[in-house]
Amino acid sequence: MKQNFYFLILTFCFSIQAYTQERFTLSGNITDASSNETLIGVNILIPSLNTGVVTNEYGFYSLKVPEGTYEIVISYLGYQTITETLNISGQTNLNFQLNESSEFLDEVVISQRSDGLNIKKPEMSVNRLSINTIQKMPVIFGEVDVIKSLLLLPGVSNAGEGSSGFNVRGGAVDQNLILLDEATIYNSSHLFGFFSVFNPDAIKDLKLYKGGIPAKFGGRVSSVLDIYQRDGNSREFKMQGGIGAISSRLLAEGPIVKDKGSFLIGGRSSYAHLFLKLTDNDNSAYFYDLNTKLSYNIDDKNKLLFSGYFGRDVFSLSRNFKNTYGNAVLNLRWNHIFSDNIFSNLSVIYSDYYYGLTLGFVGFNWDSGIKNLNLKYDFDHYLNDTFQLKYGFQNTYYDFNPGEIEPIDETSGINYFKLTKKYALESALYFSAEHNISENLSAEYGLRYSSFFRLGKDELSIYENDSPLIYNEDRDIYEEAEPLGTETYESGKTISSFGNFEPRLSVAYSFNENQSVKASYNRMAQYLHLISNTSSPTPLDVWTPSGPFIEPQLLDQYAFGYFRNFKNGTYSLEAETFYKKVKNRIDYVNGANLIANNNIERVILNGKSRAYGLEILFRKNEGKFTGWLAYTLSKAEQKTPGRTPVETGINGGDWYNSNYDKTHDLTLTASYEASKKWQFNANFSFQTGLPSTFPTAQYSYENITVPVYSQRNSNRLPSYHRLDLSANLNPKNSSDKDFKSSWSFGIYNVYNRKNAYSISFRENSDTGVNEAIRLSLFGIIPSVTYNFSF
Amino acid sequence: MKRLFKIFGLILIFAGSSCEDVVDIPLEESEPRLVVEASILSYKDSESKIQQIKLSETAPFYDEQIPPVESASVKIISEEGLEYDFVHTSEGYYINENLNPIIGQTYELEIIYNDEVYTAAETMMGVTDIDFIEQTATGGFAGDEIEIKVFYTDPADESNYYLFIFRNEKITLEIYEDEFTDGNQIFGYYSNEDIEPGDEVAIEMYGISKSYYEFLFILRAQIGENSGGPFETQPATVKGNVINRSNKENYPFGYFHLSEVDTSTYIVE
Repeated sequence: MKQNFYFLILTFCFSIQAYTQERFTLSGNITDASSNETLIGVNILIPSLNTGVVTNEYGFYSLKVPEGTYEIVISYLGYQTITETLNISGQTNLNFQLNESSEFLDEVVISQRSDGLNIKKPEMSVNRLSINTIQKMPVIFGEVDVIKSLLLLPGVSNAGEGSSGFNVRGGAVDQNLILLDEATIYNSSHLFGFFSVFNPDAIKDLKLYKGGIPAKFGGRVSSVLDIYQRDGNSREFKMQGGIGAISSRLLAEGPIVKDKGSFLIGGRSSYAHLFLKLTDNDNSAYFYDLNTKLSYNIDDKNKLLFSGYFGRDVFSLSRNFKNTYGNAVLNLRWNHIFSDNIFSNLSVIYSDYYYGLTLGFVGFNWDSGIKNLNLKYDFDHYLNDTFQLKYGFQNTYYDFNPGEIEPIDETSGINYFKLTKKYALESALYFSAEHNISENLSAEYGLRYSSFFRLGKDELSIYENDSPLIYNEDRDIYEEAEPLGTETYESGKTISSFGNFEPRLSVAYSFNENQSVKASYNRMAQYLHLISNTSSPTPLDVWTPSGPFIEPQLLDQYAFGYFRNFKNGTYSLEAETFYKKVKNRIDYVNGANLIANNNIERVILNGKSRAYGLEILFRKNEGKFTGWLAYTLSKAEQKTPGRTPVETGINGGDWYNSNYDKTHDLTLTASYEASKKWQFNANFSFQTGLPSTFPTAQYSYENITVPVYSQRNSNRLPSYHRLDLSANLNPKNSSDKDFKSSWSFGIYNVYNRKNAYSISFRENSDTGVNEAIRLSLFGIIPSVTYNFSF
Repeated sequence: MKRLFKIFGLILIFAGSSCEDVVDIPLEESEPRLVVEASILSYKDSESKIQQIKLSETAPFYDEQIPPVESASVKIISEEGLEYDFVHTSEGYYINENLNPIIGQTYELEIIYNDEVYTAAETMMGVTDIDFIEQTATGGFAGDEIEIKVFYTDPADESNYYLFIFRNEKITLEIYEDEFTDGNQIFGYYSNEDIEPGDEVAIEMYGISKSYYEFLFILRAQIGENSGGPFETQPATVKGNVINRSNKENYPFGYFHLSEVDTSTYIVE
């Protein structure tokens, strides 16, 4: 059945191609005029033909047009619109350069193109944030943060201030695919979640797919965060940087060969000792990252790009504790254009996550991590003005190091121990079509076939009845089974394999230029699992592949939405509902010890999760006053039933709220351009308190008070709300035209609300009375950041 | 490894203008359940056969008193069928003066309370000796706390589980397994920022079963500063090994275990 579907689509494409001979290809690149940096998502429109296209991730566009003379309109947010008349009488290669709107329209009211919605495009559940928007937002400690900005969008939340990662539409943190220049980032947080690993100066563009995820992406079931680094200025040498309360940044970029090749190198580092200066010992806690990019245009049809990222967090407390972790990414890409209407990109990507720990007082070193090597080849095929095809393949080889324990010295009482390494290969083949079926109807449909092979060398335990976990009915607890023995697999041998067809579909029907409805469905498979039973993941958590005891997670998501632009795109409204369910979400039995556990299968059970909700985003896109109101009403739950009717599973086998479930989530973001010098911003958030588990009784054991907890996550922390303000000052620099500087002043949590980070229940050791203790992290925090560029 | 998570907390505290305060949270109340504390012990340095079992009930969380259970009938039956009756003295304490458990033998506990029968079975676990005790002043994550290391030699080629109870003003439970330390001389670790030279720390080292170790592992995660927060595990119901044979729904809390104990008293220098 599914194969037939595939065949049908292919025939469809070719039949369309049959009546396109009379047309010529108009193609090229669109770049920023001052830096020659390629621009993503620029609109190229031919109004008389009612046709258009947007530039891809590499600034490339291609259109098929009949012979004739046309007016062509090129527009992009924050840039001056270009309108040109073109005479097309053959294959035409045309590159455009856009000027930033603010630089030229000094005293005039800014009339940049609005960020109004693309009503006709079948794309839905997607949010794009320009780095300009992100840089204006008020943020904690004045640190511009990509992920914290995403939290202001509907459908995106996290498990509390300072928790790591983010949750999309009720999905878990490990279900987000985070790509930096197409390379997977395994941990997006610095300092356990206070800051994200992305240096805002080095980022060009980001896009978050919450639903209707194109077939190009796979491997995670909740969302895709697609981030692109800047290429660097190929016109002139530039530097920029900033000095903030937590970290400082410096970035240099410039031409290698003028207009052909560029480099970019950017670094960011927090200040050591920042957090731990209470005592005069040699403690330190800091993070840093390094972003690099080299790009070179070999000729009109070939371009090479090299990107690198390296980030680390380091905590060092005397000799007793040292912790280092972070991501490293290397990526070499080759863009090649075949016959003007086929754009291709070949990537070879290496990505690595490392976690290291030294506990001096216990006497050991610990190392763990994941490495992968990814080869992918993607094609954008512009068949005609109503049909665009994308296809390609990906191959990823994984090398998992679940952990290695080494005695710190000869006196240590710890024995050397290495957990069994794991290997896997993930392959996928996809095609995806964007099809304007009629004036009002367009669709994006595609299919991805993903497969996953768990490979040797490996050593797996064998259990009686294949059951690594035993249910003790009398005590109503799960106990680890003793392995009968082990089975060894030779290097490269397939231990288990999985394959999944992942259909994707989104349809848009526009009533007119300003109103449309859209619907989407996507199925996705996830073969990697982050083993974590804490409320929010920690850097120490290890990734593990699917295999004989762990099935791949499978998602089905349905979304439906209404989209409208008002007043020519000055205002826009997006309203979406979604329903999603995930099969094979693993959950952990009580008391599961996941650290240095060579037999994870003995502490996990197979469960499922579901989420549904309504999201509303109302934006004002133009004018001196811009901003948005985002509201999400949603529910996210998890259920892990027993394997047999007598077993109780987890939480009695009942549905329970996910750790990050928030019924109401409202954000108001506003920005006011008061003058050329001053710009003001405000954020307000209101959220239902996070789920928590409160005790219903207590008892005494060994003279210690033990709380009795009932149903998991059935209580809630008090509601969370907060107001942040910021002001940006761009003073005039009369002395040096090239040197620009700006100041950013911010106040986080203006009215100093003590939002509960957690509520714990314990005995007061002085009075012996039991108490509920609220921990609140951030009170009012003012900040100043200084930025410069020259 | 539990200790490791404390570092996350530590950094959170320093990083933010964080604060802790007592809040008034109304709580639901569950039906009272029986709580069994049946630790049958054999001290290495004592011939005493006096054993004590404590029975109580759960109480609403904010109550200051824990209600004792005084009307139960309690006995322990050995493998040979010998019965040891425990007599209520006061405040929920039941005493027997003749039970000297034998390492490796399995004993059964039987409690009858409110016409319901509760039973548990457990094997008496032995323990190695405390070798010596060492004190340094470079303990804790910050490296400036007094730390006490209680050294012992783990018997090789067998799985062993240990419980250390350190009694100062506060009671501290530490549990260890020997997965990564099998056959080595290793230590029980105690570090407390409040202790000062001259303070007395009572140290008990128990040999315990794997199942009691797992029970304590979950129990420890529920108590004190270990609970709550995003880097902590979900709170859980701590189910012990005492089973209500009459009414499964009315399960009790607590544990029945038999352990050999080595003790020592250490004066902080």
